[in-house]
Amino acid sequence: MITVERLTKRYGDFTALDDISFAARPGLVTGFLGPNGAGKTTAMRVIGGLTPATSGTATVLGTSYGHLPNPGRHVGLLLDASAQHAGRTGREVLTLGAMLMGVDRGRVAELLDLVGLSEKESRRRVRHYSLGMRQRLGIAHALLGDPEVLVLDEPANGLDPAGIRWMRDLLRGIADRGGTVLLSSHLLNEIERVADEIIVIGHGRIVAHGTTGELLAGAGTLVRSDDDAALRTQLMRRGAEAEHLPTGGLRVALDPGEVGRAALDAGVALTELRAGDGRGLEEMFLELTADSAREEVAA
Amino acid sequence: MTTTATTATTTPRTTTTVDRRLAPIPGDRPTRGVPFHRLLRVELRKMLDTRAGRWLLIGIGVVIAGVLTILFVQDGGEHPLGDYLQATFMPMAILLPIVGILAVTSEWSQRTGLVTFTLEPRRLRVTWAKVTAALAVGVAAVAVSYTLGVAAHAAAIAFRGVEGDWTMDGLALTGAAGYVLLGMGQGLGFAMLLRNTPAAIVTYFVLPTAWTILGGLVSWVESAAEWLDLNRTMEPLFTGSLTTEQWAQLGASVGVWVVLPLAVGMWLLTRAEVK
Repeated sequence: MITVERLTKRYGDFTALDDISFAARPGLVTGFLGPNGAGKTTAMRVIGGLTPATSGTATVLGTSYGHLPNPGRHVGLLLDASAQHAGRTGREVLTLGAMLMGVDRGRVAELLDLVGLSEKESRRRVRHYSLGMRQRLGIAHALLGDPEVLVLDEPANGLDPAGIRWMRDLLRGIADRGGTVLLSSHLLNEIERVADEIIVIGHGRIVAHGTTGELLAGAGTLVRSDDDAALRTQLMRRGAEAEHLPTGGLRVALDPGEVGRAALDAGVALTELRAGDGRGLEEMFLELTADSAREEVAA
Repeated sequence: MTTTATTATTTPRTTTTVDRRLAPIPGDRPTRGVPFHRLLRVELRKMLDTRAGRWLLIGIGVVIAGVLTILFVQDGGEHPLGDYLQATFMPMAILLPIVGILAVTSEWSQRTGLVTFTLEPRRLRVTWAKVTAALAVGVAAVAVSYTLGVAAHAAAIAFRGVEGDWTMDGLALTGAAGYVLLGMGQGLGFAMLLRNTPAAIVTYFVLPTAWTILGGLVSWVESAAEWLDLNRTMEPLFTGSLTTEQWAQLGASVGVWVVLPLAVGMWLLTRAEVK
């Protein structure tokens, strides 16, 4: 369980986090979605006690991170896979972690095997690791203490498609066993495939928060028919909003069943009827991204 | 019979890749913090398990070996024990504080602090573990260097047939060890203040020397230097006898160059954002 309440973080004039509140609950994968620079990493760093909050609180398992006894055995953190000593081997990094947490050293080999780092790779120095290998090492380190809470910042970065799928299954498995998983990403389709709940963050504020189903359903229904104009009139009569899409067809803020019944009443034959594919969420997300992209150009 | 045996050994290989789920750790989750001895062991290991740390120690060893060889050959090896000890001791006293500096600054320059300070968020405990580990390395290195010095002297007597001179002041030995440990404390303090490897190393070497040079040039700095120049106040440690005033001067300079940087450095370190 992770609870964030009215958290604000300012750096001088810049507000990195602006009064955000959310919870990541056990048994669920919570996705933290937002463009680069939205505040995802800052929020996770505050949760992990690395960055002091300007105001507000963040608690993990009911207490502030700094008060957790032997935190590695409760919380697995991966905030930056590149933050490892370049001159240390992957195996050594895990061994140090195991020593500190008081975990049996045999677990190091188990974890290397789990994340798919071979014996030979584990004896190479981190300097020579690809981003994907660092990411795997970071995930192994986060899982070392068998934690009940996982906080992962952009864990899919640098992983190949097979690796991303593997990670998805892994996180799903941990949540299914009652673990709390909070992961961030700047890619919508990556988050929507694994998260049960999504928190969308932009410019340090939470702009949307809900179950993945709710947020994606917010996109309504996409429908194409022999006579879109007549169908639209019928839908408007029922008080539903319907807009023409530039590519033909309509987007309707109703579920597909109701759109189908409206078409029946209007006597219009449908050629395509399906639930919206999260384009509403995607558009909202693109807007956020476009804003920050513009700011970057201006700056 | 042989055929069945072959098939039995070849089949399992292909079917073992299905379940890669990690076994949970049995038993309850800990309700007690990480004990200090574990932090200490980890910090000690971290000083030696990187290329930088290892080569630094190897480098010190090589320099000592080189100096001892020169003594062994020069003048037929006819030197008192004190010379041998000094030969092993000086390179170490100069270079060893870098081990302490790196132990602190690498958490920032290599960004390992992200892991270190999330596994033990009570940063002062980590810092004390680093100080203790660095001083332990210092004590061990002093012991090794004395042993090498004694061995070289003994070897000179045995193999080069020199007279040998075993006279050695015990207090001077302790004083020399203190010199190394104070140097390490100073390095650690600067490292905590600056949290940047090149800055800490340069400051550690340049600042006290600049102070010494300045003291030789400007008269009022000269009188202050008697109390604040660590190079000067530590000198009596090697002679083995200190007057009350010399102790006070040593204390004052240690306060300014070792205790103060350590105290302020630790305070800053608990507040710094770990990037």
